[in-house]
Amino acid sequence: MTVGIMQRDPATTEFFDGTARGELLIRRCADCGHHSAPRCETCPACGSAALDRVPAKGTGTIASWTLVHGRPPRDGGPAPVTAVVVVELDEGPWLHSQVITDAPQEVRTGFRVAVDFERPEGGEAIPVFRLAPDAVSA
Amino acid sequence: MNDTSGAGSRRPVIAGLGLTEMGKVYGRSPAEFAADAVRRAAQDAGLRLSDIDGLLFSNGVGGGVGLTLQRELGLRDLRMLSEVQAYGSTAGAMVQYASMAVQSGMVDTVACVFADAPLREKGSAGAVYSSGLKFTGWQLLDFASGLSGANPMYALAARRHMDTYGTTSEQFAHIAVAQRAWAAKNPLAQMREPITVEDHQNSRMISDPFRLLDCCLVSNGGAAVIVTSADRAADLRQPAVHVLGWGQAHPGYEMGRGTDFGLVSGAATAGPAAMKMAGVGPADIDIAEIYDCYTYTVLITLEDYGFCAKGEGGAFVSSGVLGPEGSFPLNTGGGELSSYYMWGMTPLSEAVIQARGQGGERQVAKNDLVLVSGNGGVLDHHSTLVLSPHPHS
Repeated sequence: MTVGIMQRDPATTEFFDGTARGELLIRRCADCGHHSAPRCETCPACGSAALDRVPAKGTGTIASWTLVHGRPPRDGGPAPVTAVVVVELDEGPWLHSQVITDAPQEVRTGFRVAVDFERPEGGEAIPVFRLAPDAVSA
Repeated sequence: MNDTSGAGSRRPVIAGLGLTEMGKVYGRSPAEFAADAVRRAAQDAGLRLSDIDGLLFSNGVGGGVGLTLQRELGLRDLRMLSEVQAYGSTAGAMVQYASMAVQSGMVDTVACVFADAPLREKGSAGAVYSSGLKFTGWQLLDFASGLSGANPMYALAARRHMDTYGTTSEQFAHIAVAQRAWAAKNPLAQMREPITVEDHQNSRMISDPFRLLDCCLVSNGGAAVIVTSADRAADLRQPAVHVLGWGQAHPGYEMGRGTDFGLVSGAATAGPAAMKMAGVGPADIDIAEIYDCYTYTVLITLEDYGFCAKGEGGAFVSSGVLGPEGSFPLNTGGGELSSYYMWGMTPLSEAVIQARGQGGERQVAKNDLVLVSGNGGVLDHHSTLVLSPHPHS
């Protein structure tokens, strides 16, 4: 599948301004420097509410994966399969996303990935991941 | 009511259980199911509705049960009335709050009720689950990214357990097979046809590693329990089920490097707290009624409660101890996988039935201590109860 169409709300405005520019914005604590997920409002390391938004490098490792099997289409073709993953960004935070690949069945924990952005018409740019050229780091 | 026999008489018990018709039951709203369940629980206990002076209620995904439930039941002069919401851990939490309210003397008799009606005659329950939830922007982003509800979220947790400890799909299958064997003995169960590990392995893939037979049912219906004091229950209709211990845990996992998500759940905190309060340990438990939205949820909860070592849940559940012929009575009514899906009321209701000795063909002979778990969110919320036919010794 591809990504869904969604609109921003006040909590996600800065994040989607970032994805529109091709940046994946995560949080960095102004007090202790700890990186946290885009939706964090309180630093998990020190409790500070002073969190900046900074661009992530955009690279990470698959921490867990699942293949979501959709319903077969009415014309009898194969059921769509989506590789839904948890990516552990190199800065530390986890992101739930999907890997865009022709071979979702081959996605495994530990594979290296890099962020990309899907830009559906009428919706916000959504971060997705693609397997890095050196995906199998093991 | 006079409380003249000391603090012990105010110890909390479950004195009534009410289960409506459940499953593919159409044309009734959650509010109607809730009122029906409370009436049945009061009748079961031998109480009049006017004896109830506390009401706690819990909504499923569809909503629809509100403070007006009081008026729908004609309840007057309530001393406690509130909605409780911690997803699948709510039923256990309601019993805990009711128990504390009874112990304190704030109330005498509390009805705790859950009802939901996500199934429609036409259309998928999944659509109701999705549309019924109130998403903020960030949750919408999960959906837009391909995380279509609970199945993939729990699958990601289960995969982490498999990657870390070598847990397998065949091991999950043993849980589903054993619970179906129990369900075959439960007249209330929706799915009673026996299944095999092979059936599990051949069932449709939903969200890898979860196949259809790893996933709970969806049911319409309502379930209620009545919590009162041991003193009050002494002259009621049913044998009292004593609430000996309880605990909750809400881990608030940091979703980032080093997290325990998928590996350790709130059961690791709530379980020992509840058992300590009851003065017992895992080896003392006779029957375990464990929240089972997925087979995996059972496995990680058994590890966290200490029935086996961390990481050995897969070996434990596939060692032959489960099922009606096994040595470890687990989800003896069939659970949410095979009997009925009433969130935390599923394990709680079966625990009450077993503690009373009313399990019929599936009754476990030794029922002195029954452990009950509730689990909500994506392993985000946990409640534990220790129940017994006997008061604290």
